[in-house]
Amino acid sequence: MHAAIEVQDLRKTFKVQRNREGLKGAFQDLFKREYNEVAAVKDISFTIPEGEICGYIGENGAGKSTTIKMLTGILVPTSGTLKVGGYVPFLEREKFVKNIGVVFGQRSQLWWDIGVIESFQLLRKVYQVPEQDFKRRLDELTERLQLQDLLSRPVRKLSLGQRMRCELVAALLHNPSIVFLDEPTIGLDIVVKSEIRDFLKSMNQEYGTTILLTTHDLQDIEALCSRVIMLDDGRVIYDGGLDDLKTRWGTGREVHFQFGKATRKDKLEAWTLDLPVKWSAENDMAAKVWIPLDTNVSDVLSRVVGQADITDIKIIETNTDDIVRSIYQSGSAVRSETEWKEGITS
Amino acid sequence: MNSAYLDFVRIRFLTMLAYRVNYYLGIFIYILNIGVYYFTWKAISGSGGELGGFTSAQMTTYVAVTWMARAFYFNNLDREISSDIRDGSIAIQFIRPYSYILVKMMQGFGEGIFRFLLFMIPGMAIAILLFPVQLPTAWSAWLGFLTMLLFSFLINSQINVITGLMAFFVENNEGMMRMKRVVVDLCSGLIVPITLFPGWLAHVLEWLPFQAITYLPGAVFTGRITGSSVWQVLGIQVTWFLVLLLPMIVLNRLARQRLFVQGG
Amino acid sequence: MYYLGLINEYLKNYMKSRMTYRADFWVEVISDLLFQATNLIFIFVVFMHTNSLGGWSQNEVVFVYGFFMVPFGLFSCFVNLWGFSERYIVKGEMDRIMTRPAHNLFQIFLENLDPPALVGSVIGVIIMAVSGSHLGLSMEWWTVPAMIILSLSAVAIYTGIYTTLTSLSFYSDAPTGILPLMYGVQGYGRYPVTIYNRAIQVLLTWILPFAFVGIYPASLFLERPEMRQMAWLTPVVGIVFLSIGLTAWNYGVKRYRGAGS
Repeated sequence: MHAAIEVQDLRKTFKVQRNREGLKGAFQDLFKREYNEVAAVKDISFTIPEGEICGYIGENGAGKSTTIKMLTGILVPTSGTLKVGGYVPFLEREKFVKNIGVVFGQRSQLWWDIGVIESFQLLRKVYQVPEQDFKRRLDELTERLQLQDLLSRPVRKLSLGQRMRCELVAALLHNPSIVFLDEPTIGLDIVVKSEIRDFLKSMNQEYGTTILLTTHDLQDIEALCSRVIMLDDGRVIYDGGLDDLKTRWGTGREVHFQFGKATRKDKLEAWTLDLPVKWSAENDMAAKVWIPLDTNVSDVLSRVVGQADITDIKIIETNTDDIVRSIYQSGSAVRSETEWKEGITS
Repeated sequence: MNSAYLDFVRIRFLTMLAYRVNYYLGIFIYILNIGVYYFTWKAISGSGGELGGFTSAQMTTYVAVTWMARAFYFNNLDREISSDIRDGSIAIQFIRPYSYILVKMMQGFGEGIFRFLLFMIPGMAIAILLFPVQLPTAWSAWLGFLTMLLFSFLINSQINVITGLMAFFVENNEGMMRMKRVVVDLCSGLIVPITLFPGWLAHVLEWLPFQAITYLPGAVFTGRITGSSVWQVLGIQVTWFLVLLLPMIVLNRLARQRLFVQGG
Repeated sequence: MYYLGLINEYLKNYMKSRMTYRADFWVEVISDLLFQATNLIFIFVVFMHTNSLGGWSQNEVVFVYGFFMVPFGLFSCFVNLWGFSERYIVKGEMDRIMTRPAHNLFQIFLENLDPPALVGSVIGVIIMAVSGSHLGLSMEWWTVPAMIILSLSAVAIYTGIYTTLTSLSFYSDAPTGILPLMYGVQGYGRYPVTIYNRAIQVLLTWILPFAFVGIYPASLFLERPEMRQMAWLTPVVGIVFLSIGLTAWNYGVKRYRGAGS
């Protein structure tokens, strides 16, 4: 399988003007400026094969947008190499962008005052899509995203969810093989979010479209991505499968019990004395047990089920939100990884 | 006065300092404007002739001082206000605990201080070096001129605020703003001193607020108006200042109504 | 061909979106005309006090003004860079432009087409016809072709100068206040530049060559021999300044892509 996106030691530094403080500083700035160098992306490398949906996550200012801008040919990297869809984006920009689609969730591609369909027609000309291809593609996309009734309305009369669906169509009309989505679900309600996710998933499966998406909504990641690249302070701190992330970073699972008859906590502890689990109970009718990853849940359950009168059991996996939060709190994935290993051996 | 308002003055002043290219090119273009009009009037009047009651020295001084006055009183409050209205951010401004109009005036004033210190004074110094400008000798002319300059700023800003607020009532006031800019430059006596217009037009202009922005202070500075007449023209400026407060207040109230009753 | 097709498409879209704001269209036309009217008033006021301006009669100066309006209308329609830094740099729309497969400057021109400005060009032709007939100018076989070539050259000069200035937006400060000031300066090119001193003449001829969008080319039709050579230079100056503008622009975009945030 070919690589859709190849990034090697990519680096981007910006010159940032330093504003001196106060009136005197401002006067000095009028005649002589001072600059600081700030590295937004620090030598990152990754490869995304064709047909993959990859999540690109990180806190604000971690370097996500800068990377996306380099990958889409907007910015020229300071150093390093990159290849997207067989092109070096910043060298052959105009040829290159015909092959990609970009959606900036915060910015519109569409013309504000005219019907959506007019914008699409115009983009057809800009991207030089043949009339028949355009028709077929538009029919398909409008049906999938249920836009039939919206096509003649001006953009300013659309709701945010409707607009975002139109933005997606605008970015996909020329059938790009690689699609960049910058916060595609920002500000949308749950129904629209899941519609958009379903749509992206089916696009990916049918056309093998490679998708790179940045998001703050980890539900997007869970629903779509087989792979996650996590960025912090301009560096990649995690790159791998989502499942992997969960198993490696999930600290354990929690099982919630509801009892039919009062069951005291010390009794529960006595039954599982030889297992490395931790019990907590609010009252005698309900209790929680925390089970580390290397212990089987079934082992714990078998001890309890036979002896207590259980009315309900719930098993809770650590969710991605928690994992990501804990990674960021620990600062670096590498360090946490060793901690985690130490955690098992000790 | 609420010290928050003074902060708006200070912040705008600092913001202006941040635009270097604007600054250097601005000074250059103002000097060029003075040069062009200086030579134009010189070509018209021939050597040493009088023009519309101006001696050639007075005309030079008039051109220099009125352009430099413009460098001071000019601002883009109309554009700022109308863009606030069009992108809807005015709603936020209106619910804040201050008067939006007053804040805008304060920002304009901050810009004015910057323009006075860094545009007008250095620009005037350069103009004096390049052209035969005659500075007034009487201290009363200086005092009168500087006081009137303040009112020039106020009246011009008032007109800008009114033009800007019109964005509430017309779909697109871009054309209106462009028109205002041209009308102010022409009718204020910047491009053509009022006395050079044909008699009927000059009379019409005397009844409009624009001449109070440029022509009157320019006439005081060049010594065309002296003595107790200075008080009289200052009175005209004060009157216009007060008269123009009225539409500002009315528009502000209408705007609020429109915003809160009809939701923008 | 691709680009011509795009112009057509964008114009259609402009018309469609303008149909919703029909009143605006006329407000804009009228305000443009008023702007031009004030300039004419200036000329009339000047000639109330003199018979000739640097050896040029009122009809001649008005004719020059008519010529001046033609390329200016074309330029304002097709090359509208007002508010570039606000819209494309501050609000970040430049990024969207960069993800589309057409030259970025051309896309910006297209997105800001302003057809009402063309009315000014039409009025300019009328003014030339009227003042030309007062002067008894005759149409020659070369008049119309020369008019077209010189107008297009003047548009190239405008485009070059304003593109250069606008490309300054790619650096840290935004020269937003400069464009309106420049609008004042460009007007000086429509008066006989010989009335100015040497420095200003040089400036308006070689540095900000606005004399080439007004007095020099128009003098050809007025059959004034002293500026004929300058008139023929107009296309050359157009090409030179357009090249400077495009180079500055491309350099600015390069910088934007290297240092934008």
